[in-house]
Amino acid sequence: MAEGSRKVAFVANCLLNQNAKVCQGAHYPGVVTPVVQELRARGYAVNQLPCPELAFAGVRRWWAVYEQYDTPVYRAHCRRLAQAIAPSIEACLRRGDDVILIGLDGSPSTGVRFTSSRPDWGGRPDRTEDDWAIEPRRGVWIEELEAELERRGLPRLPATGWAMDMGRYDEEGSRRDLEEFLDAHEARVATAADGAS
Amino acid sequence: MSGDARGWRIALVPDVLVNPPDRVGGPDVMRVVEQEGYGVLHLPPTAGIGDPGLLLAVIADQVAEYAHHGYAVVAIGVPHEVDHGLHWTRLSALLRHRRIPLPPRHVIGTEDAAVEEQRLAAFLAGHDIPEEEQRRWRV
Repeated sequence: MAEGSRKVAFVANCLLNQNAKVCQGAHYPGVVTPVVQELRARGYAVNQLPCPELAFAGVRRWWAVYEQYDTPVYRAHCRRLAQAIAPSIEACLRRGDDVILIGLDGSPSTGVRFTSSRPDWGGRPDRTEDDWAIEPRRGVWIEELEAELERRGLPRLPATGWAMDMGRYDEEGSRRDLEEFLDAHEARVATAADGAS
Repeated sequence: MSGDARGWRIALVPDVLVNPPDRVGGPDVMRVVEQEGYGVLHLPPTAGIGDPGLLLAVIADQVAEYAHHGYAVVAIGVPHEVDHGLHWTRLSALLRHRRIPLPPRHVIGTEDAAVEEQRLAAFLAGHDIPEEEQRRWRV
């Protein structure tokens, strides 16, 4: 990291605001405290990504899987949001900041390591079980955000996802995941800094 | 909404309060917001990222969606920043265009940090939409 640069985390919208979650999906009143605590304790500035689902399908939307949001119009909407937030990310990178991305694993939009998938999902939303699959791939929004950063000639951000939408929510497990990601990332940054000096 | 923990209240918070340059001495706004059960809509810095117009429009879209569906929205500002750090001139125009009443604002003062935290907590605790509207939406 250059002298005077900062550590900056761009986080999924709902990690600062659980009101953005799909109906019955909120696990906290507002802020997802363990994420913010961990990032602040390590000296990260926190920046919030827009929520593509909220702005597209509304706050009273049904649950959905990747395939339902994988449409041309939703992707165009995500590209507009990416164009809104990319200048902030670009400014940080151009300044030499250490920038990371924390998405929401299991989300059809904001998944980083995993997204929810079921090609035949649709119709009346009356399933009693979460019978979709968890697939190891980006959500639609993260795909479009990364494509916008690539269009700007920017590197792919080191990224992980807070595992909130993976079925049964395990806060402790999610916290350990995040800590491991941050430990590994900070070790890589320190090694790179040693190599440069 | 059974099994759902959302607090139905959201605060617009300037970047300088989400990421205070010096965390020692000033009120810890994020902690108070968390304790009062509010979600955060983070407003971008007032300098250093070019024109935030599109991002402000995206934020206004989100505020409109919440305001139309039974959520309470407030804004927390800072003294000594243009528009209290809230991009208020532009944001209020965007909200008016979406026919949204402007959120009530609380500007952090320059008193002792503990006093300012108490004032903020009282402001946040005392705000919500009318009970009739709560009954309509929060089921």
